[in-house]
Amino acid sequence: MNKLQIITKGIIKENPVFVLLLGMCPVLGTSSSAINGLGMGVATMMVLIMSNAVVSIVAGAIPNQVRIPAYIVVIAGFTTVVQLMMQAYTPGLYATLGIFIPLIAVNCVLLARAEAYASKNSVLNSVFDGLGIGLGFTLALTALGAVRELLGSMSVFGYKFASGDGMLVFILAPGAFIALGYLIVIFNKLTKIKA
Amino acid sequence: MAKESSLKNMLLCLFGVTLGVSALLGGVYILTYESIELAKKNEVNAAIAAVVPAFDNDPSVEIIEKVVDGKKVKIYPALHGGEPVGYAIEASTTQGFSGLIVLMIGFLPDGTIHNSAVVSHAETPGLGDKIEQKKANWSLQFNGKHPDNFKLSVRKDGGDVDAITASTITSRAFCDAVELAYKAFLTVTQQ
Amino acid sequence: MVKKLLVSQAPHLHGKENTRRIMLDVLIALIPAVLVSVYFMGLSALSVFAVSIATCVAVEYLIQRYLINGPSTISDMSALLTAVLLALNLPPTSPWWMVMIGAVVAIGIAKMTFGGLGNNLFNPALVGRVVLLISFPVLMTDWTVPPSIFRVGADAISGATPLGIIKEGLAGGLTMEQLQGAHGFSYQYLLWGKIGGSMGEANAFALLLGFAYLLYRKVIRLHIPLTIFVTVALFTGILWLINPQQNADPLFHLLTGGILLGAIFMATDYVTSPMSTKGMIIFGVGIGVITVLIRVYGAYPEGISFAILIMNAMVPLLNMYCKPKRFGEVIKNG
Repeated sequence: MNKLQIITKGIIKENPVFVLLLGMCPVLGTSSSAINGLGMGVATMMVLIMSNAVVSIVAGAIPNQVRIPAYIVVIAGFTTVVQLMMQAYTPGLYATLGIFIPLIAVNCVLLARAEAYASKNSVLNSVFDGLGIGLGFTLALTALGAVRELLGSMSVFGYKFASGDGMLVFILAPGAFIALGYLIVIFNKLTKIKA
Repeated sequence: MAKESSLKNMLLCLFGVTLGVSALLGGVYILTYESIELAKKNEVNAAIAAVVPAFDNDPSVEIIEKVVDGKKVKIYPALHGGEPVGYAIEASTTQGFSGLIVLMIGFLPDGTIHNSAVVSHAETPGLGDKIEQKKANWSLQFNGKHPDNFKLSVRKDGGDVDAITASTITSRAFCDAVELAYKAFLTVTQQ
Repeated sequence: MVKKLLVSQAPHLHGKENTRRIMLDVLIALIPAVLVSVYFMGLSALSVFAVSIATCVAVEYLIQRYLINGPSTISDMSALLTAVLLALNLPPTSPWWMVMIGAVVAIGIAKMTFGGLGNNLFNPALVGRVVLLISFPVLMTDWTVPPSIFRVGADAISGATPLGIIKEGLAGGLTMEQLQGAHGFSYQYLLWGKIGGSMGEANAFALLLGFAYLLYRKVIRLHIPLTIFVTVALFTGILWLINPQQNADPLFHLLTGGILLGAIFMATDYVTSPMSTKGMIIFGVGIGVITVLIRVYGAYPEGISFAILIMNAMVPLLNMYCKPKRFGEVIKNG
């Protein structure tokens, strides 16, 4: 499998949101607008790439019984690094996403990739896997955020299409579930035609 | 592949991993510490500057913390050339629709409300979040009013404030916090 | 296991004729309520019905034809019933586009996505109403009563629902006595009068008339509505006895808001209610308790639609645990 395939696999065949259905908490919680979805996706991707890299380096040295705690410590560490960075250099985004950033540590996508991929593959492949899965996560979150923002507040990325408030339900939690359900339907329909 | 587990290598491994990660975190913390402090200070100063007339001191240093009606209130005096030009008062309320609402209210030295800003809230988007000035100009109705002759409660409760449509609870909470801020203002100026 | 004479649990599959007959009966039972709402609220009520029916039927037809590729299910009347129920759950001043969105949500999301009639977990009309209530809270709680051509000389009345008035009033420190005096909430008024609220809540008597017809035709069983009424009466009765100045009495609670409409026409929906008697009773008690909790302690003045939807979600569980004993089943271990 070449590097490009590893990346596209993460976006389409093993898309963490639309296919694996992993990490639903941040997906539903942070996707109330396109920019929030993008920000959360990129932050998760950063942590994922770094943790994948480190896990694939140290995996050989970690005894079997403590591998999960060790991976979690690595993931939580990088999550905090990203949190501090965002707090320092992008305070605006941090103000809106702040409470969700620490939750990256408990996002099962990260542990799943560490356990299922990074611990068994080379550093370079793990980095590309992190990039692919991260991109898939980011695209899904941005798409969901854009749909919810469009229906909920008639704007995308803050650019208003029409006046008025839109259907508030899509900004709130129930709308997240409804929109995600229909996006999964559409995604599966499209990818099935390809295959 | 992973090694066989024994007490010794498990301890060593976890110790090693946690040590490495702590070292990393310590390093990043030191690197970002100043920027974070600066960002926080800028945020507070921007909120103060938005609600009081131009000043030339550093209100976030001259902060006065008080307890009014059992609630903590932060008072930032704004001075220009040594003369007070206003007070930015950070007050909060738990009476909102969902969770804490923190407001920054700017008073002129005579007690007139100059401007207000929402520091943080968790009100319903599209309804209660109209207290934010970037969402709606509802809160502008407080500007230029003096609490002595502008009753700080919604019309339904016999006050002078037009409530946000379908968000009476949030509007009440907002009035609540402004009232608290005004009480805090009086404790400072009537000394 | 011997696979001979395998008879499944009730309900047995109905033929097309039967579904259609039941839906027709429910529609007939709704006629008084529909007529009353048009009488009180005039042409705007009529237009809400028209838009709702047209959209529901069109959406069902299009989805059935182009997405499911099945035979048309319009003739079983279920889309028509959903449309009428949805309209009865909306304020008469609803703009046409809002009614359309509600109808698309009800049929498209709540019914056809699950596979059409018989497969939907939630009552479609209620899903439509709740999505609209959360999406457009200002429009959905605007109870202005438009002038009706049938009541010459009457002006538009800006009204709040009795429940809304009480919630606001009690929060503002008034007592029940003052509120009832100021707004003239007598029982005669609540039973016969023009109550502010959604179109189906306008008159309690019209709904009770429909209830009697459904019972007479044996379309619904008494269990679900009765347990809801009893639970609400008991719960609010206890609160009322503790503090009559801060709580409305049980009869007031029963006659106002959507309890009658919900308990009679929504909670008894075959698809989304439990099958066994025991299940029905648990279902009814749950709806009653949640409704009162929301009315008395919640942020919304009325909670029956949320209560029914929450209990709808419990129905598969209730059906699993409240199976009637099969005839001849051996009791294990005594």
